[in-house]
Order: sequence, then structure tokens, then C-alpha cells
Amino acid sequence: YYIIQACNILYIIRGLGLQDKEKKKKESIFDLSKYIDKHIRVKFQGGREASGVLKGFDPLLNLVLDGTTEYMRDPDDQYKLTEDTRQLGLVVCRGTSVVLICPQDGMEAIPNPFIQQQDG
Amino acid sequence: MKLKIFYFKEGRLVDKCIGSRIHIVMKNDKEIVGTLLGFDDFVNMVLEDVTEFEITPEGRRITKLDQILLNGNNITMLIPGGEGPEV
Repeated sequence: YYIIQACNILYIIRGLGLQDKEKKKKESIFDLSKYIDKHIRVKFQGGREASGVLKGFDPLLNLVLDGTTEYMRDPDDQYKLTEDTRQLGLVVCRGTSVVLICPQDGMEAIPNPFIQQQDG
Repeated sequence: MKLKIFYFKEGRLVDKCIGSRIHIVMKNDKEIVGTLLGFDDFVNMVLEDVTEFEITPEGRRITKLDQILLNGNNITMLIPGGEGPEV
């Protein structure tokens, strides 16, 4: 009985809170509007990468990119950027397969810092 | 440029594509080109006059007609008006 009462009180408190703030539904922890019209790099599940100018987005992280260049990984060449790029123009990227978004000029390629010396 | 730039995909840019060619890139090395007939909230897509491309062996696979339902689970990119990797 007391448990039910406690739960009811919790619901009321939560209801009041929601009324005040008008039900925040999908609050994003990351504001993409500052990247609009900027060049960004997007990485996808499955290893694909693309970069382009961000033209639009939605709370589900679907993106609209313009002037998109896609980079693909080949099994034999590990990760060569300049190989196998192609221009795609205006594309819509599915938010369900986006894993990373970063500004295009906010990153650089560095030599592998984790290479260990091979022992015998 | 056939299409204007829209902000929200759901109900905007993709809506504009209905009836025109669209090129769909999957998470793996597969790409689909077809005429978009419709889609749903999960972006499962119904396409017509479909050509399926496999990128790694660099060859065209199957040309299908009579409408396909493409599962939206593995869709990575949608390119309106795209004709695919015509190599």
C-alpha cells in the first residue's frame, strides 16, 4: 500500500515538472545547428565515411549533406583516404547508421602511435 | 540541380523524391538504384525498376522490376537523382 502511495507521489511530482517545462521530448545532447553550412566528416556503421557541407538535420540524426565525398575502405589497403573517393552531391544520411560526426578541419591523420616492436 | 535543399528529411527531401530516381547506399557494399514509390517512418522503401550493384567485385548484379520492398535497417545514404556507380 505504501509502495503504491510512493509511486503515486512520484508520478505527481513528475507530472508537475513536465507541466512546467512542457514535456521535453527529444532533447539533443549535441547541437548540430552550429555545424550548418560547415564542412563535416561523418562515419557510418559498416566502415563508410563521407564528408560534405551540412545542410540540415533532425533529432534522429538524419543529415542532409551537400557536395558529398564518400571514402570507402578496401580490405587490402586498410585506410587510404585518397583511394576510392567519389562525389555524390546532395545526399541524405540515415541517422540510424551514423556513428561519428566531426568538423572536417578539426582532425588530421597522424602516424600510428600504437605500433609495437615485433619480438622474435 | 533537380532538387532544392531541404532541412528535414522526413516529409521533405525524401517526399520530393517520390517518383524520381534514387540511389540508395547500404551499410555494406551494396547499392540500389530505382524509382522511389514510397517509404515509411522507418525509411523502408518501395522501389521500382531496380538495379542492384555490388561494389567490390565491381559488377552489376541483378536488374529487377515489379517493385521491391527495401528494408530500411541497412540503409546508410540516399542520393536523389543518382544513377549509381555507372562504371
